[in-house]
Amino acid sequence: MSLTLPKWSTSIAFRQALIYGALVVLTMTVLLVLFYQETVGEWRRRIDRQIDTTTERLVGYFGQQGAAGLATHIAGLLGDGVDSDTEVYVLVDPARHEVIGNLALAPAIAAPTGGIVEQRVLRAGRPSQSRLRITRLADGSVLIVGRDMEDQRALERLIRRASLWGAGVTLLMAVGGALAFRRQLEHRIGAIRQTAARIERGDLAQRVPISAQQDEFARLSHDLNAMLDRMHALMEGVRHVSNTIAHNIRTPLSRILTRLHKAQSSRDPAADLPTAVGAAIAEIEDLNVVFDKLLQIAEVESGTRRQSFTPVSLNAIAVNVLELYDPVAEAKGLRLTHDLDREPMTSGDGDLLANAMANLLDNAVKYTAAGGAIHVDTRRGSAAVTITVRDTGRGIPPAERTRVGTRFHRLDRSVPGWGLGLASVTAIARLHGGSLELEDARPGLIARLVLPALDGA
Amino acid sequence: MRRCLIIEDDADNAAYVAEGLRELGWWVSVCGNGIEGIEQATRASWDVIVLDRMLPSEVDGLAILRTLRGIGRRTPVLILSALAATDERVRGLKAGCDDYLTKPFAFSELAARIEALMRRAQPGEEVREMRVADLRVDLITRSVERAGRTIPLQPREFRLLAYLLVNQGRAVTRTMLLEAVWDYRFDPQTNVIDVHISRLRNKIDRDSAQPLIHTVRGVGYMLAANGAAPRDPA
Repeated sequence: MSLTLPKWSTSIAFRQALIYGALVVLTMTVLLVLFYQETVGEWRRRIDRQIDTTTERLVGYFGQQGAAGLATHIAGLLGDGVDSDTEVYVLVDPARHEVIGNLALAPAIAAPTGGIVEQRVLRAGRPSQSRLRITRLADGSVLIVGRDMEDQRALERLIRRASLWGAGVTLLMAVGGALAFRRQLEHRIGAIRQTAARIERGDLAQRVPISAQQDEFARLSHDLNAMLDRMHALMEGVRHVSNTIAHNIRTPLSRILTRLHKAQSSRDPAADLPTAVGAAIAEIEDLNVVFDKLLQIAEVESGTRRQSFTPVSLNAIAVNVLELYDPVAEAKGLRLTHDLDREPMTSGDGDLLANAMANLLDNAVKYTAAGGAIHVDTRRGSAAVTITVRDTGRGIPPAERTRVGTRFHRLDRSVPGWGLGLASVTAIARLHGGSLELEDARPGLIARLVLPALDGA
Repeated sequence: MRRCLIIEDDADNAAYVAEGLRELGWWVSVCGNGIEGIEQATRASWDVIVLDRMLPSEVDGLAILRTLRGIGRRTPVLILSALAATDERVRGLKAGCDDYLTKPFAFSELAARIEALMRRAQPGEEVREMRVADLRVDLITRSVERAGRTIPLQPREFRLLAYLLVNQGRAVTRTMLLEAVWDYRFDPQTNVIDVHISRLRNKIDRDSAQPLIHTVRGVGYMLAANGAAPRDPA
């Protein structure tokens, strides 16, 4: 049993959405704090300024008209009906007796303060949170100017509650959004995962459905499908190779078996068996050659022989292989000529390159009728060197040219062979980082082995 | 009597090779695993050892070969293995084998190669001239005469003749010729070797009543004074 993690921790979509939600909440909070500061805070500062100016004005009165004048003025202010539900004025004489004011109890705290304080007081008979400025006057009286903050506090509460609601809704929306986002992502990824699961179960034809939106997922799905197509094609190739190999090995095997069985059960085994055995040996020897060639192609394709690459002269190879085939061409009545460039060099395996060249010459000899001609040349270019074998034989139809490099593909089954020659040449060319090019020589075939030129040669 | 040790775990194959070699006049001993093989190979002296690479024990063919070479034994060793890739062949040669034949094989090929190894193992005195019947070949000046008449040969034809001559009286296979004379390890599809031999035969045997180059059916070719080819062992 594997440890089951809570689902959110294994869902990148959910984590991302959650982080996003947290960011939204944070932004919201900062926004609300700023809003609060700019409204409630500003309001409070304005009140404080008002308290300050009123205090200064009243202190001015006291300077001009003395304590009695100030008391009269305050009485006027209290009675004018302006701001009467919020204003606070108290004048206390030096003997700590209230001269005038609208606080039920002159605060015991009537000690003057430098700035404005906020206190719970009893104003006009009801408790009130007020901001107060307490000033000691020149004769020892104390003047208290203030403002009831109850309405202000109600506003603050309102804003706070609205903010909380807002924050709650934001949080809910963030979480809901995260869930929805995850669902959406999982839906898109789920489609890919389902396809992968079906392919894993063996249905290789499955492809990721591509949604109508041309978004990242559509592009990813498209890339995945392209990759799957390529893999499918490669696997088909492998299947084709193993099928053809099986076919080309089984066919002779069944021929051998049939022949031997027939000879064994014939009326005169003594007379029939030697022929059957001889034929079987010939078939098995052929099979052996096919096996060797297949293994050699596989070895070449595996690339291990690249380790033993040395500088090789194409001319040396051409001369040697030409010399090997010269008597064969002569015996068949073919004219074999050559034209060699100045030292075309490549890095490679001399034996394999000779093998490739021998295969090309072998084909040329095989498919060119008596009286024809074969011409071999080597060329040296800046990036590539070539060996070309040109014959006047029957050539290869354009449609067939791409297929002759596949194993066991044969143009003419009446000519002896296994259909492995050009497959081998193609593999050798690829091993060397080169290619085999086939062209029409009108009439005949041009087979050109193109190889990378040796650096610095 | 020439003595051959066969170290091979496939009993059928070992018996087949042993029987064939006995018919050719060899004294043959067979052992089927690596440890016994290494004992036998080092204890007695052999003219040739036929060695399989993959053996059922810790000791594989190459280990036996390295041990043998390590203690200074120059006994010719022919590896007989299903491992056919070039780098496997190179590993065998690096370990000190004298020839490498891959399975499946024809007994005639094996026999011809063992004979060639015997020739190579003989103390090599500097041979200047070789003769078969009225054919005289000077290996230094590379001149060839038949019945006193000089025969001009191409360099490759000369190498072909020289190889047949060195192995005179013994059959050599087409693959051996391709390896020894052309130094190629691949198998050309067409019978190129046959055509080269027939060209050489034309020059050597055409004007003579006594043919020297003989076709050995199922094996290859042989250069000999009398045409009585050895019994076809295949």
